[in-house]
Amino acid sequence: MSQGPSVWLKLVLRAERVVGSRVESAVHSDVYFDRLTEVKRAKARVTGTVEGLSRRVLHLANLPAGTDIRRVREQLARMERRIVELSKELEDQRAERETVP
Amino acid sequence: MRSVSPPVPAELLARVNRDVERSLLRARNGLRYVRGTHRPALGTSPKDVVWRRDKAQLWRYRGGPVRFGQPVVLVTSLVSRSYILDLLPGSSSVGFLRDRGFDVFMVDWGIPDELDAENSFETYVDEYLPQAIDAVVCETGATEITMVGYCLGAVLAMLFASGHDAPIRNLVLLATPMDFREMGPMAAALVQGRLDPDELLDDTGNVPADVLYSGFYMMAPTSVVAQNATLLDNLWNDEFVKGFQAVSQWTRDQVPFPGAAFRQVVEHLIRRNVLMEGGWRLGGREIELTNTSATVLNVMASADKVVPRPASEPVGEKVGRPDRRQEMVVQGGHATFGTGRSAFKHTLPRLAEWMASHSDTRAKRRGRDADQIPRVR
Repeated sequence: MSQGPSVWLKLVLRAERVVGSRVESAVHSDVYFDRLTEVKRAKARVTGTVEGLSRRVLHLANLPAGTDIRRVREQLARMERRIVELSKELEDQRAERETVP
Repeated sequence: MRSVSPPVPAELLARVNRDVERSLLRARNGLRYVRGTHRPALGTSPKDVVWRRDKAQLWRYRGGPVRFGQPVVLVTSLVSRSYILDLLPGSSSVGFLRDRGFDVFMVDWGIPDELDAENSFETYVDEYLPQAIDAVVCETGATEITMVGYCLGAVLAMLFASGHDAPIRNLVLLATPMDFREMGPMAAALVQGRLDPDELLDDTGNVPADVLYSGFYMMAPTSVVAQNATLLDNLWNDEFVKGFQAVSQWTRDQVPFPGAAFRQVVEHLIRRNVLMEGGWRLGGREIELTNTSATVLNVMASADKVVPRPASEPVGEKVGRPDRRQEMVVQGGHATFGTGRSAFKHTLPRLAEWMASHSDTRAKRRGRDADQIPRVR
């Protein structure tokens, strides 16, 4: 026997649409995206300031800061990428040599 | 005034029995759901890896006899997991196509990390896809293929088809983001004057998966209430719970977006809307989207909120030769190509029928069948 959704579910779904459509029109508006950009940039500025201060303090004690570790990780990733590229070039050259009679 | 007759005792007893039984099942499934046990295994159709490079892989699905001469190659998006097209046994798009006699391949991009931060559209269009298609041709002996791109994978597929002398007979583009001015909230945060791409990259040089997830979540922030209420109402139904878990796992399972490709999306696709000019300068040459001899099928979902119809419609005017363009509108939302009630009832049967009518019945080929021993390059 097939039955439709329960009465309580129908009510919840209807209420969700009433609230949801308003929330959606708010979070899809230009004002929302402008504020989002401002908040994201403000957060980045605050993080940058705090990181700068803590880095100076840690460097005074000759300790590495999170930003130093990040830079090292980025350098490592760049090196790894270069190694992968070189390996691929070698692999391709080897494959080319094998196909040439 | 009409009088309402009270239910007869047998009917009442049956209703009570059913409600008690469902309450017990709800309790059992609810516990399993909260504990996180009994999660269904996803993307489990039997397959072999036939090519790989970096994190990209090409899978060939095993199955019954192949009836069509053109293998079907699925190209998935860069931002979500490919198993949406192979969700669960019995509700798998690749399984559906395989059962109808297609030789199905899928290109999976893997999960990018810091090594992939420099991956650009050129990496996918000029490096991975040509090699993957060579592998399909080598594996099957086919002279032509049907390429099916989904979402951003459709953008990769059309750029590849137009930018290479590729053996593509049919180019099927599902939910293709073409006109980025019509992409609505998905692109609104990244238009000129708002967030720059580098502001969203993390230490690995990629856009983190949770940023992408929050972008999708904000499309309909309260829908989670409706989804969970529907789950609660259907908690007694094992099949419903399994499907719900599968889809919600896929929805949350976003992957990082490679930084270089993301910059291109923002600078070229969103801010300059280059695809609407009919081409894109990629890898040092201009790719004209009309430069493919394939028959192009533009497939749009009527209720797609991620890639709305107006964003996909220009595919019908810009991609392929004018005499080889076709259009199909299917019911459902963005995921209707992989899941949902209408996927297996309407969407996939129509797609399979179209692909069958645009393919040759299979003759003896020099390649091997999917059931023979796989080879990984």
